[in-house]
Amino acid sequence: MNQRIRHLTVALIVLFAVLFIQLTTWQVVRRDDLVADARNNRVSLREFDTRRGPIVTADGTVVAATEPVDPATNTSRFGYQRVYPKGDLYAHVTGHYTLGFGRTQIERVHNDVLMGKTPQQQLEGAGDLFSRADTSGSVHLTVDSRIQQAAKDALGKREGSVVVMNPTTGAVLAMYSNPSYDPNLVASHNGNSVNTVMTELQADARKPLLANAYQERYMPGSTMKIVTTAVGFETGFLTMERVFANEREWLPPNTTKPIRNYGQRECGGDMLEVFRRSCNIPFAQAAVEIGPSVMVDGANRFGFDERVPFDLPGAAASTFGGLAKDFDDSLALLAIHGFGQGGVQVTPLHMTMIASSVANGGRMMKPFVVEQTRTQSGTPISTTSPSVWKTPMSPATATTLTALMKEVVRNGTATCCFRLANGVVGAAKTGTAQLNPEGEPERSHAWITAFAPADAPTVAITVFIKGVDDEVSASTGGRLAGPVAAKVLNTALSVVK
Amino acid sequence: MADHSVARMRRGTELGLVLLSGAITASAYVLASLGEESSMPARIVPFMLFVLSLVGVAHIAVRFVARGADPLLLPTAAFLHGLGYVMIARLSDRWAGLQATWSLVGIAGFVATLLVVERTGDLRRYQYTSLAAGVGLLLLPMVPGVGFTSGGARIWVNIGPINFQPGEFAKILLAIFFAAYLAERRDLLWKEGKRVFGVQIPEMRHLAPILVAWGASVVVMVGQRDLGSSLLFFTLFVVMVWVATERTSFLVGGVVLFAGGAFVAYQLFSHVRTRVDIWLNPWDQYTGRGYQPIQALFSLANGGMTGTGLGLGEPGAVPAAHNDFIFAALGEELGLLGATAILSAFVLLVGAGMRTALRAQRDFEKLLATGLTTIVAVQTFIIVGGVLRVVPLTGVTLPFMSYGGSSLVANYVLLALLIRMSDSTARGLHEVPDSPSVTERVATWRLQRAAR
Repeated sequence: MNQRIRHLTVALIVLFAVLFIQLTTWQVVRRDDLVADARNNRVSLREFDTRRGPIVTADGTVVAATEPVDPATNTSRFGYQRVYPKGDLYAHVTGHYTLGFGRTQIERVHNDVLMGKTPQQQLEGAGDLFSRADTSGSVHLTVDSRIQQAAKDALGKREGSVVVMNPTTGAVLAMYSNPSYDPNLVASHNGNSVNTVMTELQADARKPLLANAYQERYMPGSTMKIVTTAVGFETGFLTMERVFANEREWLPPNTTKPIRNYGQRECGGDMLEVFRRSCNIPFAQAAVEIGPSVMVDGANRFGFDERVPFDLPGAAASTFGGLAKDFDDSLALLAIHGFGQGGVQVTPLHMTMIASSVANGGRMMKPFVVEQTRTQSGTPISTTSPSVWKTPMSPATATTLTALMKEVVRNGTATCCFRLANGVVGAAKTGTAQLNPEGEPERSHAWITAFAPADAPTVAITVFIKGVDDEVSASTGGRLAGPVAAKVLNTALSVVK
Repeated sequence: MADHSVARMRRGTELGLVLLSGAITASAYVLASLGEESSMPARIVPFMLFVLSLVGVAHIAVRFVARGADPLLLPTAAFLHGLGYVMIARLSDRWAGLQATWSLVGIAGFVATLLVVERTGDLRRYQYTSLAAGVGLLLLPMVPGVGFTSGGARIWVNIGPINFQPGEFAKILLAIFFAAYLAERRDLLWKEGKRVFGVQIPEMRHLAPILVAWGASVVVMVGQRDLGSSLLFFTLFVVMVWVATERTSFLVGGVVLFAGGAFVAYQLFSHVRTRVDIWLNPWDQYTGRGYQPIQALFSLANGGMTGTGLGLGEPGAVPAAHNDFIFAALGEELGLLGATAILSAFVLLVGAGMRTALRAQRDFEKLLATGLTTIVAVQTFIIVGGVLRVVPLTGVTLPFMSYGGSSLVANYVLLALLIRMSDSTARGLHEVPDSPSVTERVATWRLQRAAR
C-alpha cells in the first residue's frame, strides 16, 4: 500500500501546485487588469474613508476639501465627504471625486498628492508608522478666485468660456466654461442620487461635463487672422506697406463661389486698415499667396494639429483643417481658412496662448493651472516652472502684431466695446465665426482675444461665446465678447498689478 | 530498547513550533488591529493568554498521552487556526466571539479524542457503528423538523440551542468505517469474484457496504444540494479503495463513475448547471451570481504580491468572506507571499499526515491516516480551487481557517486521530517506550489490588 500512498501524496501535491499557479495568475499575472476593472472599487472604497487634501487657488480660496461626515445627520458608511465650496465655479479645473464614477481633472491627475501617496509624503509620515498619519497633500492653483468669479459673472447665462492667462509664464489665472456642473452632486455618498445626476449630465446636449474652454474646439472666425498675419510677416509675404484692393467680393482660384467681407461690405486698404476693420478678402488672398505648405507649416508652428501640453487631462487639439496636400487642389478652401472659416477649429485656451505669444515677444508658453503641490507640512512636492512650448514668430513680428491689435482697440472692430479702466490700453482681435451656410438663419460664435497693457502685457484673455441663439448670432465678436473681456481684464489687472 | 530521548525531542520541537504559531497569531492580531483602527487591540493581553492557554493545553495533552507523535501536526494546525481566527476577528467582532467559543470547544474535542481513543485498534471494533452513525449523521439534515436549509444547502441540523453540520463529523466516521472494512477484506475484494472482459468484478457481498457509502454521497448531492461534500465523500471512497486494493481498475472505475455521475447530474439538476455556468462565465452575470466569485478575484488582485497588509484591505467586499471565501480575504491582506505560506502549511499538514500513513504498521491505521489526510487535502483543494476558479465553486469550509463550529471541532478530532496513530506507530517501532495508557494503568492497579 505504501507505493499507492506515495502516488497519492504526489497527486495531492500536484493539486496544490495547480492552486499555486492559479493564485499567481490572479495576484500577479492578471493583477493589473483586475485592479483596473471599472467594477473593482476596492481602492476607492478605502480611499473614500480617508482624509483627502485640499485644492486651493493662488489667493488662498479652498475650492475642494474633505469634511468629516457627521454621523448624527448622515448615515453614510464613510467618515469623510469631499466638498466643493464654490459649486460649479471650478468644476472643470478640480474635476470631481466620486465613488462610482471615478475621478477627473486635478482630482485624478494629482490623486497621489491629495491622498498622500507620493514617496515624499510617505517618507514624511513614516515617523508615525503605526498611527497611520494623515499624509494628505495639497494642490495650489495658478487660478485667482477674484478673476475666476469675475469671469463667471461677466459671462452670465451665455454659453461659452473665459480663459485668462499670464502671457509670460503660461499660468492660467482664470478659466471658466458655461455650462458647468456642481461636483458636490456627484461626489455625494448617496449612490442613487449620484446615478440620476450623472445620467442627466451625460445626456445633456450642452455637454456640461466637458470644459468648452479647452476640451472642445470651435471655428475661430477673424481671430484666426492673427495667425495668418504672423505667418505672412514671418515668411515675408506680408509687410506693413502692403495695400489690398478695395473689393466687395473676390473669386479664389478653382471655384465659382466668391468670398465676401463681413456684412457684404466693400473693404480694403493697407495692412493696418484691413486688420483693424477685419476685412476677409485680404487675408484670403494672403493665405493663397503664402500657399498651402508654408501656411500649414506656419499654423503648425502655432501648435495647430498638436495636443496642447496642458496639465489637465483631455485638452483638445486645435486644427487647421487639413494637410498641405489637402489644399493643393483646393486653394479656395485655404483662402477661407485664412480668415478662420471652414475647417479651422481652435480651443479658447489655445486662442489665449496665440494672443499670449504675441504679448510675449513671439514665445508661446506651456499653459498650466497647477502652481505647486505640497505635503501636509507645506514642503513643495512639485513646482511648475514656466517653459516655452512654441516660438511661432520673431519678436519683430510680435511687435508688429501688437501694433495691429492695438489699432483694433483704438479704431477698429473692438473700439465700441472694449474700454479698460484707468486708461489702460489693450490690444485685441475680434472674431465672428459664421456657422450657417448661405441662405440659412444666421448663426455665429463671438470671439475676442486680447492682452493688456499693450506695451507691457501682464494679462491675456480670450472670451468665446457660443452661437446657440439669435442674440449671439445677430451680434459680432466685438460687441458681444468685448464687454465681457473688458470687465474680466479690469479685475485681472487690478489683481495682478 | 527505546528510551525517552526521541519523545523528548519530538515534544520539544512541537513546543517550540506551537509557541511560534501562537506568536504569529498574536502578532497578526496586533497588526490587523493597527491596520484597521490605528491602535493596539484593547484586549491584547487576554487574547494572548487565551491563545497561549489553548495551544498550551493541546500541547500538554499530546505530551502526556501521545508523546511519540509527529511534532508537525499540531503546530501546523494551530498556525492555520490562528491566522484564520485573526481574519475572522478582523472581519467582524460578532463572528470573532462565536469563533473563540468554538476554538475552545475544538481544543476540548482534540483533548477528549486523545483521551478517549487510547489505542487506535479501539476504533476498529466500531466498524459498523461508524457506518451507521456516519450515514445517519449524513441523512440527519433531511429529517423534517431537525434539518434546515441555509445558503442553498440542506446540511444543517438544529437541536435545542445548537446548530451544526453533521456532515463534518460523518466524513470522519465514514473514513473509520472504510479503513476498518477495507483493512479486513482488501484481499477478498478482488481475489474472489468473476472476471468480466478481463476485469475482476468483486463479489456483491463484499461490495455492498461500499455501494451504500457511494449511495450516501449521491444522496448528499441530490437531497442536500451539497456538491462539495458529495465530491469529497466520493473522492475519499475511491482513494481508500484504490490504496487498499492496489488495483488501478478501482481508480479508473471511480473516475468513470464520477464522470458519468457528473454528466448525469449536469443534465438533471439545475443547481449543478448553475454552478458550472457561474464557474465558466462569471463576468456575464456580475450583478447576479457572478458577483461573489468576481469580488474574490478583485480581492486577490488588490493584494498582489505582498498584500495590502492586515486590516488594510477591503476583504469585507466579498460576501461570506469569513466562511467559504476566507482564502480570498487572506490573499488580499497577506498577498501572494502570505497565501503561498498558507498553502504550504496545508501541504506540510498533508505531508505529515501521509508520513503517518506510510510509517503505520497496521493496514487499518495506514488506511485511516490516508483517508483522514485525503479529507483535509481534498477539502482544501475544493474550496481554494473554487475561490481561484480552478474548479466550480462548491461551498465547503477551509479546514481550520473558515468560520464554523462544526468544521473546526471535526477537524480537531481528525487531527487528534492522526496524532494518536502517529504516536501508536512510534510505540510500535520502539522509538518511544510503549508505556501503558491511563485505562491500562487503572486496570493494572485494580488487578494488583485484587491480587493482594
